[in-house]
Amino acid sequence: MDPYSAEGELINIHNHFHQGQYQEVVDYDVSTLSPENELPARVLQLRARIALGQAEDALADVTGEKEPELQAIAALAEQALGNSDKAVGIIEKLTEAGTDNTTVQVVGGTVLQAAGKSEEALALLSQHQGSLDAIALIVQIHLQQNRNDLAVKEVTAARRWAQDSLLVNLAESWVGLRLGGEKYQQAFYVFEELAQAPATSSVRSLVSQAVAELHLGRTEEAQAALDQALKKDPKFAEAIANLLVLNVIAGKDGVEQKSLLEATDAQHPLLVDLAEKSDLFDKAASKYSAKASA
Amino acid sequence: MQSASGMLTKFESKSSRAKGIAFHPKRPWILVSLHSSTIQLWDYRMGTLIDRFEEHDGPVRGVDFHKTQPLFVSGGDDYKIKVWSYQTRRCLFTLNGHLDYIRTVFFHNELPWIVSASDDQTIRIWNWQNRSLLCTMTGHNHYVMCAQFHPKDADLVVSASLDQTVRVWDISGLRKKHSAPASIYESQMNQANQQQADMFGNTDAVVKFVLEGHDRGVNWVSFHPTMPLIVSAGDDRLIKLWRMSETKAWEVDTCRGHFQNASGCLFHPHQDLILSAGEDKTIRVWDLNKRTAVHTFKRENDRFWVIAAHPEINLFAAGHDNGVMVFKLERERPASAVYQNQLFYITKEKHVKSYDLQKNVESPTLLSLKKLGSPWVPPRTLSYNPAERSILVTSPADGGSYELINLPRDGTGAIEPTESKRGSGNSAIFVARNRFAVLNTAAQTIDIKDLQNNVTRSFKPPLGTSDIYFGGTGNLLIITPTAVHLYDVQQKKTTAELAVNGVKYVVWSNDGLYAALLSKHNVTIVTKTLEQVSSLHETIRIKSATWDDAGVLLYSTLNHVKYTLLNGDNGIVRTLDQTVYLVRVKGRNVYCLDRAAKPRILQIDPTEYRFKLALVKRNYEEMLHIIQNSSLVGQSIISYLQKKGYPEIALQFVQDPTTRFELAIECGNLEVAVEMAKQLDRPKLWTRLSAEALAHGNHSIVEMCYQKLKHFDKLSFLYLTTGDEAKLTRMAKIAEHRGDFGSRFQNALYLGEVEDRIQMFKEIDLYPLAYATAKAHGLEEECQSILEASGLTEDQLNLPTFGEPLTPPKPIVPTYKANWPTKATSQSFFEKALLGQMEGLSLEDESTAVNGAGVEAEEDGVKRDLLGDADEEEEDAGGWDMGDDVVPEVEEGLVDVSTADAGGAGSSEADLWARNSPLAVDHAAGGSFESAMQLLNRQVGAVNFAPLKARFLEVYQASKTYLPASAGLPPLVNYVRRTVEESDLRKVLPVIPRDLEYLAEHDLHRGYKCMKTNKLEEGVTIFKNILHSLLVNAVDSEDEVAEAKKVITAAAEYTLAMSIELERRSLGTPDAILANPELLKRNLELAAYFTIPKIEVAHRQLALSNAMTQSMRSKNYSSALSFANRIISNGDAGGALAKLVEAARRNKATCERNPHDAVEIEFDQFAEFEICAASYTPIYSGTSYEECAFDGSKYHTKYKGTVCKVCEVCEVGKHGSGLKLFA
Repeated sequence: MDPYSAEGELINIHNHFHQGQYQEVVDYDVSTLSPENELPARVLQLRARIALGQAEDALADVTGEKEPELQAIAALAEQALGNSDKAVGIIEKLTEAGTDNTTVQVVGGTVLQAAGKSEEALALLSQHQGSLDAIALIVQIHLQQNRNDLAVKEVTAARRWAQDSLLVNLAESWVGLRLGGEKYQQAFYVFEELAQAPATSSVRSLVSQAVAELHLGRTEEAQAALDQALKKDPKFAEAIANLLVLNVIAGKDGVEQKSLLEATDAQHPLLVDLAEKSDLFDKAASKYSAKASA
Repeated sequence: MQSASGMLTKFESKSSRAKGIAFHPKRPWILVSLHSSTIQLWDYRMGTLIDRFEEHDGPVRGVDFHKTQPLFVSGGDDYKIKVWSYQTRRCLFTLNGHLDYIRTVFFHNELPWIVSASDDQTIRIWNWQNRSLLCTMTGHNHYVMCAQFHPKDADLVVSASLDQTVRVWDISGLRKKHSAPASIYESQMNQANQQQADMFGNTDAVVKFVLEGHDRGVNWVSFHPTMPLIVSAGDDRLIKLWRMSETKAWEVDTCRGHFQNASGCLFHPHQDLILSAGEDKTIRVWDLNKRTAVHTFKRENDRFWVIAAHPEINLFAAGHDNGVMVFKLERERPASAVYQNQLFYITKEKHVKSYDLQKNVESPTLLSLKKLGSPWVPPRTLSYNPAERSILVTSPADGGSYELINLPRDGTGAIEPTESKRGSGNSAIFVARNRFAVLNTAAQTIDIKDLQNNVTRSFKPPLGTSDIYFGGTGNLLIITPTAVHLYDVQQKKTTAELAVNGVKYVVWSNDGLYAALLSKHNVTIVTKTLEQVSSLHETIRIKSATWDDAGVLLYSTLNHVKYTLLNGDNGIVRTLDQTVYLVRVKGRNVYCLDRAAKPRILQIDPTEYRFKLALVKRNYEEMLHIIQNSSLVGQSIISYLQKKGYPEIALQFVQDPTTRFELAIECGNLEVAVEMAKQLDRPKLWTRLSAEALAHGNHSIVEMCYQKLKHFDKLSFLYLTTGDEAKLTRMAKIAEHRGDFGSRFQNALYLGEVEDRIQMFKEIDLYPLAYATAKAHGLEEECQSILEASGLTEDQLNLPTFGEPLTPPKPIVPTYKANWPTKATSQSFFEKALLGQMEGLSLEDESTAVNGAGVEAEEDGVKRDLLGDADEEEEDAGGWDMGDDVVPEVEEGLVDVSTADAGGAGSSEADLWARNSPLAVDHAAGGSFESAMQLLNRQVGAVNFAPLKARFLEVYQASKTYLPASAGLPPLVNYVRRTVEESDLRKVLPVIPRDLEYLAEHDLHRGYKCMKTNKLEEGVTIFKNILHSLLVNAVDSEDEVAEAKKVITAAAEYTLAMSIELERRSLGTPDAILANPELLKRNLELAAYFTIPKIEVAHRQLALSNAMTQSMRSKNYSSALSFANRIISNGDAGGALAKLVEAARRNKATCERNPHDAVEIEFDQFAEFEICAASYTPIYSGTSYEECAFDGSKYHTKYKGTVCKVCEVCEVGKHGSGLKLFA
């Protein structure tokens, strides 16, 4: 039986993980699990710790382990620590001969994508056999590549056999926020449901909800959700980034958020992108000049 | 989707099951009859449904176009044959007779006959002219599935039936009977015969052969157009080939391969091929001579039901479960290469030939490439190496291969190459004298090889590379489905990348500075460093392109040759009756290859694009030359110039007086307008002219118009206002003469001639009025005489009390002597040049006359040559471009089969914004800053973008959110839209922060507050910020555009006003100013100018009060008095400013005692003037000035070309197409 299915033992810890409730995952009581589920649970806990920024601890935890799953985790930790090449090296070695280990595929796919190797990541993930984790990742990669069509295809296919799974809902909402129109509202419902129920609420789902509201043009509601998120974790980069966007949309100054973001995550895509565009602007502007100077 | 050997889908339709199809012999039309009873008429070239015909009841299985008449025939399951006219779009008549479903219907090629096959086991021949049944052919003993006339031999019909036979029928009897009889005798004989024959059975049509061989029912049968061959398709899944002689027919061979019922088959009209289609979802192509399979094309889900061939061109169509597809079997583009004046190409016979473009001669065959690739696959590309006189030919056969061959010096006939090097690869091109590059798409590698065919280096191109082209020395252009990369072969890295979808061909300009990237519907022009210069969209497929020596790109679509200038300005050069591939333009000749790979020369008229090019380059000499020497300067150029806002240039081309008049009015050229109005002499024109002249203050023309129009009232009033008393008197005389008392009264009133008025009243017996008039003016004697005349006394009258008698003012200035000073209309250089020409100057003289422009143009030219800089071009083209604001049209209906599933990254929504919108703000939001700047530059002459940086980045930032998704990955970027409801990617647009409403509500008020609270520095910043924000913005309607313009004007006026005052304050401390008379004068002037900009009255009061105080302090009482008066007349708006008014009243009293200025300043309180925003000095009306195209601030002409001081962005005096805020 699939341990992640509704009746499975791992359903809760798995859901916690994907709802972004990483602390809950780490604190999850794994002692009652049957032996075959111990490793997947450990993997989830390790991933949660990495997501919580404890990559070094996680790395120390798995050093010397033989299981491919844990080696993959090591790669993930390395990636999180900024050692991208090393991480990719580990994954490439693990997957050299192809692999049917879902954890390795998913974690490996994450590492490869994070290292910018989208095609390789997709190639690795496409070997999965009915793993929703893999599908969610594939959807995200397609979206990052702006291949909305392929993302839609992937989600529609998954929706057929995994009706009401959390991951399918999430992936569908990600796609929905890209497609827009009616889909904005649908995505909003999914995120709101997660964010506003205390059992499932997390800073990530709050930010997601805020993003959906931003797209719906409801800036005040978005502001409320972001405030909620920042109360939970004042250093959550995505919350700060979106608050910055929100402020700009509302015609306010975003300087405060910008410096805050610079302090928390100097490599945030928003900042990187903005710096790039700033250069682009200067470059483009330099092509023009007045015919005469006063 | 695509089979290996290149079946090319040209069109697909979606519908219910397609049962019958027919090509129109001439037009790009296809008729499709559907199982759902509809008949569709499609234009397969445009991909549009032209018409639907819905009169049949139930499925329609057979349709056919008539070869020459605008007719078609259809037959369906309602047993009816209908003949339709597609012109009137009606069914003309119905032929009844069949007793069961009709399977096929076909027209005869010459005779007015139709043959039909039916499930009632008969074949019938009908005459559609007299709408009669000619003959019923019986013999089949099951459904007849298909019956066709022979395309050439008028006496043969072939039929196929589920009785497993194919029958060939001889209908010569029928033909003889119905063709014109040679003599009466014969006709009588025929009549007799006919009756006899009918009694005995049918001798009109007899079975000639019965072909047995199929084991199941036969679904389709076709004659070969020229050879005595027949092909049939049956439910036994076989395609059978039969041959016949005069006396017998026999089975030749069987093509095996279909694994389901074969439903249709036919001979290729031009090649030795058989095509068949079946329910196994395949179309198969067979070699007629070897009976072996050549290609197989498989569809995923749809069974094929019918297949048809175009009678003339290389096109086929097949009907399946979900519609039809139109396709061709092979590319028709001949492989070719041009080197200097030599065109090398490969003919349909696979012969390599060359063509001398200078002498217009074709060489004999240089080489034969018969052995290259497979026999049915033509070579794809040809690359020529002049150093070695060798060619590289690629062929798609065998998964892609290339061959390197040396050409012989002279053509000696179709010899096989003696020595050739070959290899596998999809594209192969020469990149240097002794190197060529080979792309292998499957392995995704590019090999650089030497001429010995050895690999010298090898590298991995960007993912998804589909083709490679020469990219300039040492470079390759690598094409992927979504982008083009400029790849440095030495460094093995991409040096530039441009996102362009689906590029198929690259054409370099002759000087190697520009390249045109052709995709199916777009032409993108780039520089050699892959920077985009312009891009245009065509709804019709683009086939080829070539550059003119002057840098104009000529390109061909399916039916036009068109041109585009570097700035994207484009137009049609000529139409085409058949598709051609352009190779070279020389003067009026365009060299091209047609689909049969024959070189052809097309004549074109390059005047239009040369003229536009000259305009863009401001090459006035060239323009003059064209105007003088070309007969054709057509309506299109005039409207082009007119649209571009250059009516004064257009004026030079027009002869037609009406148009000339319109243009003259439009550009305010009154002299020409008068001339034309005199010529035409129509009241309407005079009225318009008078209005225009009045607006100019040119009253002598107004006078003439009124005279022409006999508008006496208006004339009188005009004379009154211009103070021309003599003429006014004459008007009074005329009125008297005309006996028009109303007019006479009016004139007398204007002249102040009381007596005349009284006299007149008396004349018309209006004594009471006469008396009242006399009384009011105190003319007692007159009163008495009136009383006497009417026999009344004063007591009997009851008069109202009179006020002061009204006397008309006396003219002080003899305005009538001269026209009011008019604004100097700035003449364009061109106009001056033309004037020069009219005065008989030689061309040299003209060039000095226009030297300003000439030098400028030359400079530009030099710069361009040196830098290869395209932006200079763009800048010069400002305002002249018609195409830049056009949103590409959306392509519909055409299903792009080739790129549907291509991998690789796509373009983001942000990229789409730029495509979806002509507004700079949307480009900025999409991060496409270059194009946003380009737009602003063209619209309002923006050149200094630095102040807009914050706004650009603000807009850019506002449109992206960051969605945390999977753990460990960067957030997903999504795009915030202002079109929240919209999900069609072709319509979505980004959210715009600080829109018009926000600016009007927040920023504008903050600015006003600064004015009120005297925080001028801050105020200037705020208003400039408003200007910048509005410059990069979008609104929802035309009304809002007007509102935005208002806000822009207000912000500009405030900026100017505040800047003036700031300038004054920066002059120095009050003491320093007092010490220096020059400063003192300037101080007073600036204070006075501060009151000029059109700001809110409340704020103006502040300015006035300031000016008044300054003037008082310097004892400039006269000026102070005028300011005080203005303050008082403005009143106290709302009471808050009551103190100011109070102060003004006090000062007024002081000033009136001594109304003199102690310091002479340049400020005429009575004159109308604007303030130059750069020098803060007056621009009096009548003097010429320059403007900022964006905010409208005015400048002395010497500031032309500088950056506007108000918005700090635009170039003063640069005219653009106008700011676009709404699309």
